[in-house]
Amino acid sequence: MLKLEGVDAKYDSFKALDGVSLEIDAGELVVLLGANGAGKTTLFNTISGLMKPAAGRITIDGKDVTGRKPSALVQAGVVQCPEGRKLFPGMSVLKNLRLGGYVHRRDRAGMNRTLEHILAMFPILEEKKDQPAGSLSGGQQQMVAVGRALMGRPKLLMLDEPSLGLAPLVVKQVFETVQSINAEGTTVLLAEQNAYAALKIANRAYVIENGKLVMQGDREEMLGNEAVRKAYIGA
Amino acid sequence: MDLFLQQVLNGLTLGSIYGLVALGLTLVYGILHVPNFAHGALYMVGAYVCYFTMSDLGLNYWVAIAAAAVVVAALSVICERLVFHPLRHAPPIHDKIAAIGILLFLEAVVQMYWGADFRRIASPYNQILDIGGLTLPAQRLLIIVGAFSLMGALHLYLKKTMTGATIVAMAQNREGAFLVGIDANRVAMMTFAIAGALAAVAAGLFAPINLVYPAMGHLVLLKAFVIIILGGMGSIPGAIIGGLIIGFSEALGGFYLSSTYKDVIAFVLLVVILSIKPTGLFTKGVR
Repeated sequence: MLKLEGVDAKYDSFKALDGVSLEIDAGELVVLLGANGAGKTTLFNTISGLMKPAAGRITIDGKDVTGRKPSALVQAGVVQCPEGRKLFPGMSVLKNLRLGGYVHRRDRAGMNRTLEHILAMFPILEEKKDQPAGSLSGGQQQMVAVGRALMGRPKLLMLDEPSLGLAPLVVKQVFETVQSINAEGTTVLLAEQNAYAALKIANRAYVIENGKLVMQGDREEMLGNEAVRKAYIGA
Repeated sequence: MDLFLQQVLNGLTLGSIYGLVALGLTLVYGILHVPNFAHGALYMVGAYVCYFTMSDLGLNYWVAIAAAAVVVAALSVICERLVFHPLRHAPPIHDKIAAIGILLFLEAVVQMYWGADFRRIASPYNQILDIGGLTLPAQRLLIIVGAFSLMGALHLYLKKTMTGATIVAMAQNREGAFLVGIDANRVAMMTFAIAGALAAVAAGLFAPINLVYPAMGHLVLLKAFVIIILGGMGSIPGAIIGGLIIGFSEALGGFYLSSTYKDVIAFVLLVVILSIKPTGLFTKGVR
């Protein structure tokens, strides 16, 4: 459903993405592995439209969306749950979630259904729904961020380092949630440093280094690959 | 005691006008992240539109205020499209310089067409009300009621509607707002329109007890800056309460200390409050 062909992205003269081509099919859970600064977030922001690609083509379900605005991409069903969450800290949890459904604002009934579903998925948010999002713990804020992204009813959900800075037990819960979201039919692209846990739930993975995709393969290939184990799993 | 209450009423009048102007400034600050120096000029243009709608077109005071709100909202949006939007990737200092440019430009245009004369809008409400021994000109009551109902309406708009929430969302986290599909252009234009309309209504309400002239926005703008710095840049309750603080201190200080120094009081207060609480009174704790 998502296809990138030879995408470049630049910060001034620095090439942060260099000829990135990848393809994700509907229903897949694909992991993007890479060290800090390899270009994971840049790739996500380019797909989301926050950055304009300097070259290449991005299509969604065959439709060219290269260089479109972020709002157009959210409309097209590509929603990113960003690194660092980027919540609206002074607004209540409920309001954050409702704004997640901004593109579906005319469909009140549908929005309430999605909201109920999300609150059932994260019962703690139901309890905290009237508190400002900025007052929640890191793990709870991550739930709000994932919930807000889901309110957009994405066809493709991109999660950028959802486990960053969370306690191990919460990390486990985040991965379980990602897996269940995928099982419900949402295509997922997951960027993670926590390679082992991510690969365990993935169908396939790409490895990005210095802005280039250097390797790809399915879960077994990746888990068995010596270079991947050395670089990202540490065993 | 009566004299004191009388000054409180005067303070409320001033404070509600300052609050309206500061609200627009603080809303735009949330979007631009730069103080919009042109805001005082929008206020001035609002007063002129109001004046000429009444004197040349012979229309009713309320129609004139509505016309001023519409014209200045449009002017404000034009400034955003023509000046601030093209500068959105430029360093913040460019916005500031451009804003000062708009201020000078608008003042020069007004002065060229209408001259530097002082003009006066005649209030249709010249009655003096007597409330328990306090005298209150009807125009002042109108200012207080009008300003506070507008603030109330704005509050409801920002809190209860989805479009209002997009303005707040954009101020709290720009990238987060993009990622939920909020269109930055739409929000920016809407914010500028609201800020312009608020400034024009404030000018229209205040003009009958004040004068209309090209430089009338200067002091109001400076005080609005003091207010949003006091209240915390970008804070909406801060703008309202800051407006009242400045209004009251000016009225009371002008009466009990010296009316010559009444315009200085706001700035003295700024120095005092910032040396005690450098982040302003209502800066949000969570960021």
